Amino acid sequence: MIMERSTNWREDFIKRFEQDGPWDSWTLYKMSYEIEKMNLIPEFSGLQAPKFLTNLQLLPHQVEAAQTVIEKMNGKAILADEVGLGKTIEAGLIMKEYMIRGLVKKALILVPASLQNQWVTELNVRFFIPAISYRKNTPIDQYDVVVMSMDTAKKSPHREKIYEQDYDMIIIDEAHKLKNHKTQIYEFVQSLKKKFCLLLTATPIQNDVFEIFYLVSLLKPGHLGNYEAFQSSFSATKNSIDGEKYLKELVNQVMVRNRRHDTGIEWTRRKVETIPVQFTSQEQEVYNMISELKSVSSIFASSFTMVTLLKEMCSSKEATFLTLNKMIQKCSSTEEKNYIEAIIEKLMNLETNAKAEKVIEIIEKAQDKVIIFTEYRATQAYLQWYLYTKGITSVLFNGKFSKSKRDWMKQLFRERAQVLIATESGGEGINLQFCHHVINYDLPWNPMKLEQRIGRVHRLGQEEDVHIYNLAIENTIEQKILDLLSSKIDVFEKVVGDLDDILTRKA
Amino acid sequence: MYAEEIHDYLKSFFKETDCEVLHDEGHLLTVQLTIDIDKKIMNRPFYWQYIEATNSTPNPARLTLITNRTKVDNPLMGEVIHFGSGRLNQIFKATKELGSFVKMYQQVSNETGKQQTLTPYFCVNYKVSYYCDQTKEKLYSLGINLMNGEIEDNFHEFVSQLNLAPYQPDGSFCLQYIIKPTRALERLDVMIQSIIQNDDHSWAEEAKKRWIKEQEVLDYFYVGVEEKPESYQIEKKGLEERFNPRIKVEIINGGLFYIK
Repeated sequence: MIMERSTNWREDFIKRFEQDGPWDSWTLYKMSYEIEKMNLIPEFSGLQAPKFLTNLQLLPHQVEAAQTVIEKMNGKAILADEVGLGKTIEAGLIMKEYMIRGLVKKALILVPASLQNQWVTELNVRFFIPAISYRKNTPIDQYDVVVMSMDTAKKSPHREKIYEQDYDMIIIDEAHKLKNHKTQIYEFVQSLKKKFCLLLTATPIQNDVFEIFYLVSLLKPGHLGNYEAFQSSFSATKNSIDGEKYLKELVNQVMVRNRRHDTGIEWTRRKVETIPVQFTSQEQEVYNMISELKSVSSIFASSFTMVTLLKEMCSSKEATFLTLNKMIQKCSSTEEKNYIEAIIEKLMNLETNAKAEKVIEIIEKAQDKVIIFTEYRATQAYLQWYLYTKGITSVLFNGKFSKSKRDWMKQLFRERAQVLIATESGGEGINLQFCHHVINYDLPWNPMKLEQRIGRVHRLGQEEDVHIYNLAIENTIEQKILDLLSSKIDVFEKVVGDLDDILTRKA
Repeated sequence: MYAEEIHDYLKSFFKETDCEVLHDEGHLLTVQLTIDIDKKIMNRPFYWQYIEATNSTPNPARLTLITNRTKVDNPLMGEVIHFGSGRLNQIFKATKELGSFVKMYQQVSNETGKQQTLTPYFCVNYKVSYYCDQTKEKLYSLGINLMNGEIEDNFHEFVSQLNLAPYQPDGSFCLQYIIKPTRALERLDVMIQSIIQNDDHSWAEEAKKRWIKEQEVLDYFYVGVEEKPESYQIEKKGLEERFNPRIKVEIINGGLFYIK
């Protein structure tokens, strides 16, 4: 076993002994010994960090999570608490504990750019960990704890600079961004030495079961076997899986997941309703014409384009028009052009948007603040105009807003407007507990996006029940999306664990 | 450490280091630092470099420390100090530095007129740390009698109860040591080694078991791969750094003691 002897005490003592001094103060000598005694780590197990964290009210599930990671998972884990239970706190607590125990000195924290400053503040203020925010040209070799945006980290010359460092701990927030093993960021993290490592995500599976395989393989390669073994032992295809019981057990060896209802905190309820909407006959006609497009022109042969168009048609004529208009430029034959022009003409003549009318109905019934999520900027603008004509005030929100603009919009929503209309990318990083109604105007393919949306409102601090309205137009692609969403939720629950309601439960 | 304990600690620290306490309210302390202490706890090497390079008049900081935030209306009046805060850690570090070596004499009275004989002892306070993916620390305070070479544990606890001062009391006689302190230091180092060797090291066995298990998992991932990629070597190194058991022996402080 390696035995290190540290300090130059011996040499210094001999010097002082030979010169008979200078000798130190007996009081300071005793104080120094007392401090060592007080800060001593008497056991391998247990947490030392909480007594240092006087600025922090730790919740029991957070302490338990940290202990499990350190004592049972040997310091490598996926922290997969549901949104709003304090994964950041858990990660900070674990890091602090390792720092106190002298096991971690240098740590790298990779986060989405929008969360970079928040992490730096939390670590400094709550955990007294002197973390710095990485900007271009920051000399990272001079700092022990660095918070960096993932997008920066994966690129040259930053990635090379990181590889030169010898980090004891890597923390990755919003780790579901690493679900795709073919991406630059995945390869980057794969080649990073992960002595201690935490992956934070509320949604370890978003679309298919291979995502959990790749996530776990990043953390602990081999834990779920290699790709072939995984595929054959669980006969995994994207949306179904055999032997899920065993997989779940394996996953749980490297994953901590607290659910809201396990925390002992009173949570308000989620009331999820699927609201079916009927197209007007004119809308239906345009929708049908769009469905026919693929037989009219090869440009529409790509199923991706078709799906986009159909989804847009379920959203608003504004969103549809933008795409159609782009497509028409690519058409060569007049026949194709004529067909599309006919669609556009019909489209422009539409006077009612059945879904938007439904939205008004819900808002009027709610008589309260409402958030509407849409996937399209054009729809977002349309809805604001439409609500305005009905005398309903609204503000817009999207992910491209700067921090100060976000705060401003949040303020406006809280104090002046009844409705906030957000696009998908506006989902992360705002907390709106003062609102209790969420309308999912369009449905995304990924159930976890819905969970993220709902999480903006249904989180610690929410005092009332939260109403969620999922709008879906009957006999359209949205029906299929609903089915797919529920089969994805099914896989998630089998492998990861139960989810709070996102969709209306099947009977 | 509670607020009052921190407050008392700070007061003793500043008193011992000749920093004048200008104001003390029990939860708030204003203190004028000396140059030496400013350099140790204020984190401003560039300032001191500048002062020394330009021969300017030094201006050591005057600090207002709040030890109990709940009793202060305006926390901006000073710096809030609590267990875990960076400044307190720096003060702990300074304490360690300034309390490393002592030479102390037991204060015995010679009322009876009889001369008191004091025996020399040499003491080292060791901190032993066991590291793998977890940590455990132990303190050993070993004192050796410099006349006969006997070694005792818990020496610090013993001497802290005595009435000690840094000078020889009147009418006492100090025996000349037979074992030279430098030699005694070697003996104590041997002693601490043997204490460690005889300790229970199942923790290291357990860590190795965890290490082997995780190494097997890693190998499974690359089964059938002829030439293992760099990421395999990186992972392997990570496992070694995490689980490989290590022991560190650190000296906190120590010194010479003349006792009855």
